[in-house]
Amino acid sequence: MASVHESLYFNPMMTNGVVHANIFGIKDWVTPYKIAVLALLYEMSTTKPMALLDRRRLNKLILPLQQGADLTLEQFVKILEECCPRMVNAVKLKLLLMASGELQDMEHFFTILPNAFSDSEAFKTSVVGLFMRQMLLAYNKLSFSQVYKLYKSLQQYCNLGNQLEISALPTEDMELTSNEDPSADRIDKDELDTPSLHQSELRSDETQGPSSQKQAEYFLARQAYLLKNDENKAMSPAKLQDELNNILKFNPDFAEAHYLSYLNSMRVQDIFISTHSLLHYFDRLILSGGEGKSNGDEGYGRSLRYAVLNLATLHCRFGHYQQADLALQEAIRIAQEANDHVCLQHCLSWLYTLEQMKGSDSVVLTEDSVKIAAHFCLPYLASLGIQSLVQQGAKQGMPANKLLDALRGTDIMHWKQSLSELIEISLAQTTSIWRMYGKSTMARQQAQLLLNMNSLEPVNFSVQQNNTEAFAVALCHLSELHAEQGLYAVVTDIMKHLKQQFPPHTQHAKLWMLCDLKIQFEKAMNDGKYHLAEPHVTAISALNSTEGLYRKAQLLKALNQTSEASKILQQLQQQCEKTKNTEMIIRVMLASAELHWDSSGFASGLPLLLQALALSRQHNLQSLTSETVLHLAFTQLMLGIPEQALALVQDVLESVLAHGSLIDKGRALLLAARCQMTLAGTAAQEHRLTALEQAVHTLEEAAVYFSRLDCKERMRDIHYLQARLHHTLGNVSQRNKYAMLFRLLDQELPSSGMTVVNRL
Amino acid sequence: MAATRSSEFGDLVQIKKQLISITAQCKERGLVHSVKWASELAFSLETLPLNEIPPPLELTEEDAQDLDALCLAKSYFDLKEYDRAAYFLRGCRSQKAYFLYMYSRYLSGEKKKDDETVDSLGPLEKGQVRNEALRELRVELSKKHSAGELDGFALYLYGVVLRKLDLLKEAVEIFVAATHALPLHWGSWLELCNLITNIEMLKSLSLPDCWVRDFFMAHMYTELQMIKEALQKYQSLMEAGFAKSTYIISQIAVAYHNIRDIDQALYLFNELREQDPFRIENMDTFSNLLYVRSMKPELSYLAHNLVEIDKYRVETCCVIGNYYSLRSQHEKAALYFQRALKLNPRCLGAWTLMGHEYMEMKNTSAAIQAYRHAIEVNKRDYRAWYGLGQTYEILKMPFYSLYYYRKAHQLRPNDSRMLVALGECYEKLSQQVEAKKCYWRAYSVGDVERMALLKLAKLHEQLNESDDAAQCYIIYIKDIFSCGEQLEHAEVSTALRYLGQYYFKNRLYDEASLCAQRCCDYNDAREEGKALLRQISAVREQGEPSSTDLSLPCVFNPLSNNTTPVRRVSPLDLSSITP
Repeated sequence: MASVHESLYFNPMMTNGVVHANIFGIKDWVTPYKIAVLALLYEMSTTKPMALLDRRRLNKLILPLQQGADLTLEQFVKILEECCPRMVNAVKLKLLLMASGELQDMEHFFTILPNAFSDSEAFKTSVVGLFMRQMLLAYNKLSFSQVYKLYKSLQQYCNLGNQLEISALPTEDMELTSNEDPSADRIDKDELDTPSLHQSELRSDETQGPSSQKQAEYFLARQAYLLKNDENKAMSPAKLQDELNNILKFNPDFAEAHYLSYLNSMRVQDIFISTHSLLHYFDRLILSGGEGKSNGDEGYGRSLRYAVLNLATLHCRFGHYQQADLALQEAIRIAQEANDHVCLQHCLSWLYTLEQMKGSDSVVLTEDSVKIAAHFCLPYLASLGIQSLVQQGAKQGMPANKLLDALRGTDIMHWKQSLSELIEISLAQTTSIWRMYGKSTMARQQAQLLLNMNSLEPVNFSVQQNNTEAFAVALCHLSELHAEQGLYAVVTDIMKHLKQQFPPHTQHAKLWMLCDLKIQFEKAMNDGKYHLAEPHVTAISALNSTEGLYRKAQLLKALNQTSEASKILQQLQQQCEKTKNTEMIIRVMLASAELHWDSSGFASGLPLLLQALALSRQHNLQSLTSETVLHLAFTQLMLGIPEQALALVQDVLESVLAHGSLIDKGRALLLAARCQMTLAGTAAQEHRLTALEQAVHTLEEAAVYFSRLDCKERMRDIHYLQARLHHTLGNVSQRNKYAMLFRLLDQELPSSGMTVVNRL
Repeated sequence: MAATRSSEFGDLVQIKKQLISITAQCKERGLVHSVKWASELAFSLETLPLNEIPPPLELTEEDAQDLDALCLAKSYFDLKEYDRAAYFLRGCRSQKAYFLYMYSRYLSGEKKKDDETVDSLGPLEKGQVRNEALRELRVELSKKHSAGELDGFALYLYGVVLRKLDLLKEAVEIFVAATHALPLHWGSWLELCNLITNIEMLKSLSLPDCWVRDFFMAHMYTELQMIKEALQKYQSLMEAGFAKSTYIISQIAVAYHNIRDIDQALYLFNELREQDPFRIENMDTFSNLLYVRSMKPELSYLAHNLVEIDKYRVETCCVIGNYYSLRSQHEKAALYFQRALKLNPRCLGAWTLMGHEYMEMKNTSAAIQAYRHAIEVNKRDYRAWYGLGQTYEILKMPFYSLYYYRKAHQLRPNDSRMLVALGECYEKLSQQVEAKKCYWRAYSVGDVERMALLKLAKLHEQLNESDDAAQCYIIYIKDIFSCGEQLEHAEVSTALRYLGQYYFKNRLYDEASLCAQRCCDYNDAREEGKALLRQISAVREQGEPSSTDLSLPCVFNPLSNNTTPVRRVSPLDLSSITP
């Protein structure tokens, strides 16, 4: 009587205020489903002659059955039927006999259970043996009323299974009549009212009642592993959260569920829930850790430190740098007080990461971190630090051999220690470095190496680790490399894969989004479809403001809005000098030089180009170097020194042809051809013909590249030059052909005046 | 408001009659708590003459038929043999019998659930024990409900069943319907009160226009921490003639406790104990108040008294816990709070108090555990959040505790203690701007501990914002003096010292010397005060003029009775402060 009203004075929202530690320390207990599994095991060990294939299939089934959530009898039977139809009947018979008999039958089952295993291959310490003994132990601890309850639920379990088989029973008018078997009565009524039930109640029906702590642990481990390695295979965020809430509702002490909830809400970028779950987890952890060793080094003091550190990482992930900084400082302070070097080391590595994220220089910090990590024998942190150093070094123009040496050195250690995650990062990093240096072949090779590598991680839950950031980076590089070669079909395929692997809401999705946009932008620019490029600029700016600005300048330049473009470029240059983004600086310089050309200020562009050349040489950026040299050559050509220009072009032609993109190759050849033409104009009569033919040849080669890209504007320019050349050579038919081609393209494209002259 | 209401309450005789009748009805149905509430209220009203006492309700034909079964079943019901009661009631047709039939089935389920919970300390996990009868009851009741056959009591039961099944929205509807059908049944109102989470929800409900509604609204306001409105409501109820009701007195006392008006609350509780000396309800709140005031003898008396009445009550255990805590016997205190939790694991206050005890015992991990449990029981318990924040602050993790303090602040936006705590954390993190904001806000919402201004001033002092610092000190001093009583931690001397120096620097020698003289009243600042006085006289001898271009009312002028709100003005321009 009091119980109704007692609850009036408390918040009804709470689910379960009662929180007790599991005093017996038993993580698993007997349920009807477990009895079914036990019956299966019993049958398996007693029926000796069994087809080898059947036995093998059954053996494979045991573990998932033991660890998975409770199944209904129907599901259980179905799974069993798929493996070994002969076994089904025996198991079912056993269960039904037990259920339709009396309590004694179940007790008898548990008494004879150990006999079956005593002389079989199931050792006491095997998976089966442990499971069986655990079940027996749990069963023996049950009080009378609990045993009775278990038996009732077993009856219900079996009846429900049977009911489903007969199912088509007219259940229309089953009013409460008390002369029937009470348990059967209840089941009927359960079925009766399910359709009319409210959604939330239906859910509680679906969740199959109790799942033991063991099952919950298994579930958590699996989901966490999937989240780390292949997010797509894990449950959807909403569904996972539902499951977790359910676990927590029944088992509020289950702190690990809070941690998974934290990871899960990170997936959907929900800062509120993730902070809440993280703190809750650590509050809980502190209790469990605090019991044995009150405080001090190993007790809960340790989890306190890591709690703050985790909070810092959380803020880092959400880009709250100031918050992260404060949290990190706190973590460092308490770690220092406790003399916890390992934790300090973790803090340090986060510190330099944070500095990097904030865009400030952190080389010194990183170096310190590596040194200390090496001193305390923390290989993971040490090589993470080295990788970070390499990245910074590459950006600051450290000598390439040193960088690659460092990477190789750490690689050896990774392989020794099987740090597969770091191996992947290292490969992806090498790809990026090669790409930055403009060695596309090497980059491609490294990317392929990563993609084809078999992970060292044990293949758990039939999932290979392939949705880490490293894979995303490598795939993005590959797609860009293919786009450069005009293989757009391949690019589409890669993008499709990326989209599948890294759905848009996930953490690394921004990588491929940016990459995709860049490729589309480039394509639109090459095709001369500026109106298509424009929306891409906005999208790019949303993902990366610097890149967006640069693209905007390019677009404006192409649309002949020079003054706006130059304004943006100036702004961009300042910004990049602040962030020390060398690649972008050089690009901006080149673009600015091109702007000078538009106003025929060839000479005024020269200092910019020379500066760019010096910078790119210093940073080993080969593709940018050749690009700059081409720009210089073009300037020289325009300033009337074609010999010099040609010499310059020929200098870099080799590397451009080897590593450059299609458009670069075409442009380089076109430039060479133009130099040759100009030279031929001044050459002596006898050499003139050969020189001109040489130019024709070069042009044809360039035409091949441009046509592969379907770059119509360039083709028009080339056809024009070709027609002129053939005219000079006197090949009338050839001339007419090219003239016609030129005319056709010219009609198709909007005329843009003097571009032929003024463009590289 | 009170005037218009009083007409409704004018007919106290009528109300008394209603109460007597509802008491009888509830009694027949075994709704003991509603009976208690109604009789308490009825007791506070004038007794009726014989001819005014309402006759018992007329029996219908059905009632007469069921009379014997009902009688039998009620006796079983009173003996807590619910299944037996239900069995003998199964064929009955009358409303009363039907209610008792369903109610016994419900209670039987609840009882079994409770028994299971004890049993399930074994392998069966907690929380999975459910009242198996609920779903059947729901189906049957919903059938009857759609047929319109449920009376007020049955509707109430239906609502309870729905709530137990976590179908909260439906439950609210049913409870509203129940209050319409039977406005006098306090149980339905109380259930409704538990389901309403915010003021908007409250406003959106259409409730019956009955005098009980005023009680409900007052209760609701207390729950929603809208203490001012609640007090107003209760006041008008008292004026309407319920002045003697112990229920209302206790509610007002609790409300005063919630807004930390300790004196008022203490006074009311004392009165309550005079009227109802064997009352145990709400005594834990009373003991909290006594604890805050460190009234050892009173608390000790209360504890002994309650132990004599009933030592196995949650409230008693809490009182004893408080008693031991005040005597700094924290282990014993924790023990008693644990006992309270054993008696009722959902007793929120005990979890929090236990957390406080563990904090005193420097057992931080146990404290965190206790606070977390409190939060799990009720997410809106700001004291537990605050306690967690404090724990982490003690562990020297100010950033970490920020989150908890923020949570607490969210729940009590106008409580200065959270704001001061937040400010202190920010200060420790060297986030002075945020810290200043917090302190200033704490002062603006009415600083309880009168620490915010002092801290703000010190912060300004650190940041070399001397004008602001001086301003804060001035307001602080005024505050301290205007409140009259001497606070132990008051640092008037610090403020005076600083102000003296400040005026001296600004060459306002008169003010400076005044401050210095005042300094001499305090032991710790005496020397400095004297030194400053010497300095001033030295400077004056040199003939340096005091800057007199400003109008110079002194800090001490308004000390007598200045209670006007202060605006932030330049401290050199004090004229505007005094009206």
